[in-house]
Amino acid sequence: MKHANKNIVIIGGGPCGMEAAYRLKNEGMNVILVEKGPSLGGHLACWDRLFPESIKADDLLDILKNNISDVNCFLNTEIIKMNLRNDAYDIELSNGITVLARAVLFATGFDIFPAEKKEEYGYGIYNKVITNKDLEQYFKTGKDERIPANPKNIGFIHCVGSRDEKIGNRQCSKVCCATAVKQACEIKERFPDANVYSFYMDLRMFGRHYEDLYYKAQHECGVRFIRGRVSEISENKEGKLIVKAEDTLMGKPIKITMDLVVLMAGMKNSEAGIKTAGQLAVLRDDDGFFNSEDSFYNLEKSAYRGIFFAGTCLGPKTIPETINEARSAVLSIKEYVESFAND
Amino acid sequence: MKDRIIGGYDNFVLPFMAGVIFLGAYLLIGFVRILYNIPSGDRKKLLISLITPKTILKNIRDIICDCLIHVKIFKRKALLGYMHASIAFGWFMLILLGHIEVALFVPERNGILYYPVFYRYFVAEQHHTIRGGFFFFLMDFFLLMVLSGITLAIIKRFRSIIFGMKRTTKPSLADRIGLYALWSIFPLRLLAEGFTAGISGGGFLTNSIHYVFASFFGNDLNILPTWWAYSIALGLFFFAMPFSRYMHIVTETVLILFRNAGLKVTKPRKGFAEAEIYSCPGCGLCIDACPMNVLKKNVKYSSVYFIRFLRRHNTRKINEIAQKCLMCGKCSSICPVSIDSCGIRQAQRETITNILPYDYGFLKKPGLYPVPQPDCSTDPGKEKVLYFAGCMTHLTPAIIKAMTGIFDAAGTDYYFADENGGLCCGRPLMLAGKTRAAREVIEANTKMIMDSGCNTMILNCPICLKIFREEYSLKGIRILHHSEYIEELIQKKRINVKKNNMSYVYHDPCELGRGCGIYEPPRNIIKMLGELKKAGKERKESICCGGSLGSITLNYHDRNKITEDSLDSLIINNPENIVTACPLCYKTFGNMAEIPVMDLAQAVNKNIIKNKQI
Repeated sequence: MKHANKNIVIIGGGPCGMEAAYRLKNEGMNVILVEKGPSLGGHLACWDRLFPESIKADDLLDILKNNISDVNCFLNTEIIKMNLRNDAYDIELSNGITVLARAVLFATGFDIFPAEKKEEYGYGIYNKVITNKDLEQYFKTGKDERIPANPKNIGFIHCVGSRDEKIGNRQCSKVCCATAVKQACEIKERFPDANVYSFYMDLRMFGRHYEDLYYKAQHECGVRFIRGRVSEISENKEGKLIVKAEDTLMGKPIKITMDLVVLMAGMKNSEAGIKTAGQLAVLRDDDGFFNSEDSFYNLEKSAYRGIFFAGTCLGPKTIPETINEARSAVLSIKEYVESFAND
Repeated sequence: MKDRIIGGYDNFVLPFMAGVIFLGAYLLIGFVRILYNIPSGDRKKLLISLITPKTILKNIRDIICDCLIHVKIFKRKALLGYMHASIAFGWFMLILLGHIEVALFVPERNGILYYPVFYRYFVAEQHHTIRGGFFFFLMDFFLLMVLSGITLAIIKRFRSIIFGMKRTTKPSLADRIGLYALWSIFPLRLLAEGFTAGISGGGFLTNSIHYVFASFFGNDLNILPTWWAYSIALGLFFFAMPFSRYMHIVTETVLILFRNAGLKVTKPRKGFAEAEIYSCPGCGLCIDACPMNVLKKNVKYSSVYFIRFLRRHNTRKINEIAQKCLMCGKCSSICPVSIDSCGIRQAQRETITNILPYDYGFLKKPGLYPVPQPDCSTDPGKEKVLYFAGCMTHLTPAIIKAMTGIFDAAGTDYYFADENGGLCCGRPLMLAGKTRAAREVIEANTKMIMDSGCNTMILNCPICLKIFREEYSLKGIRILHHSEYIEELIQKKRINVKKNNMSYVYHDPCELGRGCGIYEPPRNIIKMLGELKKAGKERKESICCGGSLGSITLNYHDRNKITEDSLDSLIINNPENIVTACPLCYKTFGNMAEIPVMDLAQAVNKNIIKNKQI
C-alpha cells in the first residue's frame, strides 16, 4: 500500500485559514499553515470590536489561535513555486522548505480597497480623512494624531471602492454598512457631543440583529443618515473638511464642514493571493475574486483537483460566514484525501 | 489629326452622357440645397472668400494638395498616398489632356462633353507630328499611372495591412457598384484605345496592346464593343456616385471652399454638414484611429459608418453613434478630408434633447458664486491671476495642492476663483448637446470673471480651456493652461526646477492636444525635469485615456479596455512615470496604471527648487 499523503497546505493565516487548520488537524491531516505576514489573525487582528454585538475581536482571535497551538505555522513565508506532480502539489516556500501537499486551501482573504485611489475624498492628501481600518486601530490603541480631541462633526462615507464602476469595483463589499453603523455608534459613545453623519447609497442590513444595530444608531446614538453619495471633499484654511454631497431624499445638494471623515473602504481580492493563484492560472471573475467550480453546490472547490477555496477570496463576507466556509472546505478536503486511500 | 467619324457622334456615348447629365443635375440640386440651408451670414462669408485673393490662393493650394495629390495620406503612409494620388491626379490629367487635345487638334468640337473622353475613337491619326507624339506619350503615361493605382486598390481590398490599415470600410451596395465600375473603367479604356491604335495612333502602351491583339483577332470588329463597355462603365460609375463614397471626388472641392470661407457645422444633416457628409471618401482611416475600436464590436461606431447612416437618414443609428462617441477628435485629425465628425455629432446631440428638467435661472442671483476682485489699486501692468481649477480638478485635490505649491514658489499673487465651489465651464453641457444650458453657464461665468478684474486666467483642465478659448469672449484676459503658465514661469526664471534621473512619458490629453493645439509646452517642461520618452502613439494620434466626458453611453467595461490600450501605447518605451496635463486623464490612468501617474503640476512641484532667494 502506498504511503498516504495527508499533507495539506493552507495559504493565509486569517480567521479562515486558522479555523480550517484546526479542523483539518482534528481530522488527522498534516497541516502546514503559511502566512505572509509576521503574525496570525489577518484583518481580524487589526479590528477592535465586531458587529453586531460588539464582541472583542481579540477574544475571537484568542480562541482561533489557541486551537492551532500545535499546528505547523510558517510566518513571514510566501509560496515561491507550486507545481502539480502525481496528484499532489510540489510547493516551495520562501523559507527554503519544500512540501508535497495532497491538497491546497486558499484562505488568502481580501485587501482593503486603497482609499487614496478615490482621490476626490482626499485620503493621504487631507490630514483629517481616515479609513474604517484606521478607526479600528484608533479604537484599539487610542492613538491617532489625525483624530482631533473634540470633533464637532464627523462624517462616515459608505461605499468607498464598492459599487463603483468608475474605480473598477462593481461589487458590494457587504460588511461595510454594518461596520459603518457600528463604528458610528462607537465614535458617538467616545465623543458624545459630536454630530455624526453617515452618507450612504443603500444600507444593506442583511444579517440577524443588524437592523437592531441600525435602530440603535438612529434612536439612541442620533447618527444622521443621509442618502446620497459624496461628490468631493475639500480642505479649508483651518484644515477642516468640506464635504459636498447630494441629499437624494431631499433632492438638493448639501455642504457640511467636518472635523473628521471616515471612509468605509471596501474589499477586493488580496493581491498576494492573486499572485500565488496566478502560478496555477486560477480563474478569476470580473470582480477579481476567484471562480469556484460552481457557485451553488461546490463553492469551496476550484476547477483544479486538490485546490480548494474558503473565505473572502471568494467574495466579501462576514467572519461567521468565513468560519462556516472554512469548515465546509475541511469536509471537502477530507473527502478528497480519503478518495486516494481507497485506491 | 482629323475627325474620323462624320458628325462626331456614335451611339456608344449614350451611357456616358446619361451618367454625366444625371450626376451634373444631382450635384447642381445638392449644391443649391446646401447654399439654401447655410445661415445667410455664412453665405455672405462664402461669397467674400471667393473674391478674396488670399483665400483664392489657399483654395487652389488646398484643392491641389488634398484632392489631387493627397498630401495628408502621403504623410501617413506613402504607398497609400500613391494609390490615391495616382488615381486622382492621373485621371485629372487624362481629362485635362483630353480637353487640350480637342482644343488643339479639333477645335470645332470644343464643348462636346464626350469628345475628350472618347477622343481616340473619333479622331484618326494622319501623320506623326511631334505634338501628337508628345500627347500620345503623356496620355499613355497617365493611363499607366492610373492603372498602377487601380492595381494597388485591388490589392488593398484583399490585403489592406500592406497599406498600413488594419481594418477597412465594409463597402455598401452602391460602393461596390462604384468600386467595380472604377476598377473596370481604365483597363477598358486601355483596351479600347489599344484596339483603335491602328487607326488613331497610340503611345507606348496602347500601341503595344494593338500589336499584341491585332495578331490575335486580325480584324477590327472588337473596337466598338470595347468602347461601348468603356462608356457603360463610366456611365455606371456616374450613376453610382451620388449614392456611394465616390461622391467625394467632386464634393471635396466644394467642402474646401466652404471651409476656407470659415464655415462651421450648425445643423447635423443640412448645410455645411451635408457638404462634409458627401465629402467622406469612406477610406476608413478613422476605423483604425478610433480608440473605441480596440474592441471589434465597436467598429460600427466609427465616423465612416456614422456618416453613412447620416446619408441614409437612419435616425436610430445616427443617434446611437452620436451618443457613443468619446469626442476625442482623433478621427477628424487624421481624416484626409478633415471632416469635423465630432462637430456633426455634437449638432446631432442637440437635436436629441436640448431641454433640461431644470433651469439655470438661479444663476442670475447675485453673489451665488462670489469671485472677489483681484486688487486693482496696483499698477495696471501687473499680473493679476485668477486661478480656476474646475470641477474635474476638484476631484483630484493633489493637483490643486501642487498648483498652489507652484504659485507660492513663483510668488504669484493669485486668487483661487472656485476654491469654495464654482460653476461648470459649460463644456460638458456643450458636449452633451445641451447648448442652451451651456450658454447660460457661460454667461454667468463671463460676468464673474470680467467683474474680477483679472488679466490672466489659469486653468488646470483642458476641457475648461477649450471652451474658455472658443466660446467665451473675455477681452483683455490671457487664458492659459497651467502647462503654458509653468513654462513661462520657468523661462522667466520665476521658478527653478532641478533635473532628476527619472524618465517620463507624456500623454497628450485629447482636449489639450487635438482640442487646443498645445503639444510642446508640457514636453518642454518635462525635458527640464528628466528624460522624456516617446509613446507609441502621441501628439495628434494620442489615444484617449478612456475617461472622456464626451461619450454619453459608453460603458465602463469598454472604457477600461480603452484605458488599457492607451496605457500600453504609453509604456512602450518603459518610462518610469506617466505625466499628463488633464485631471481626468490623470484620474483615469491612476486607477489602472502600474507605474506612477502624475499631472504636470505635480511633476513640477516635486522638482521645484524652493526658497532660492538668499
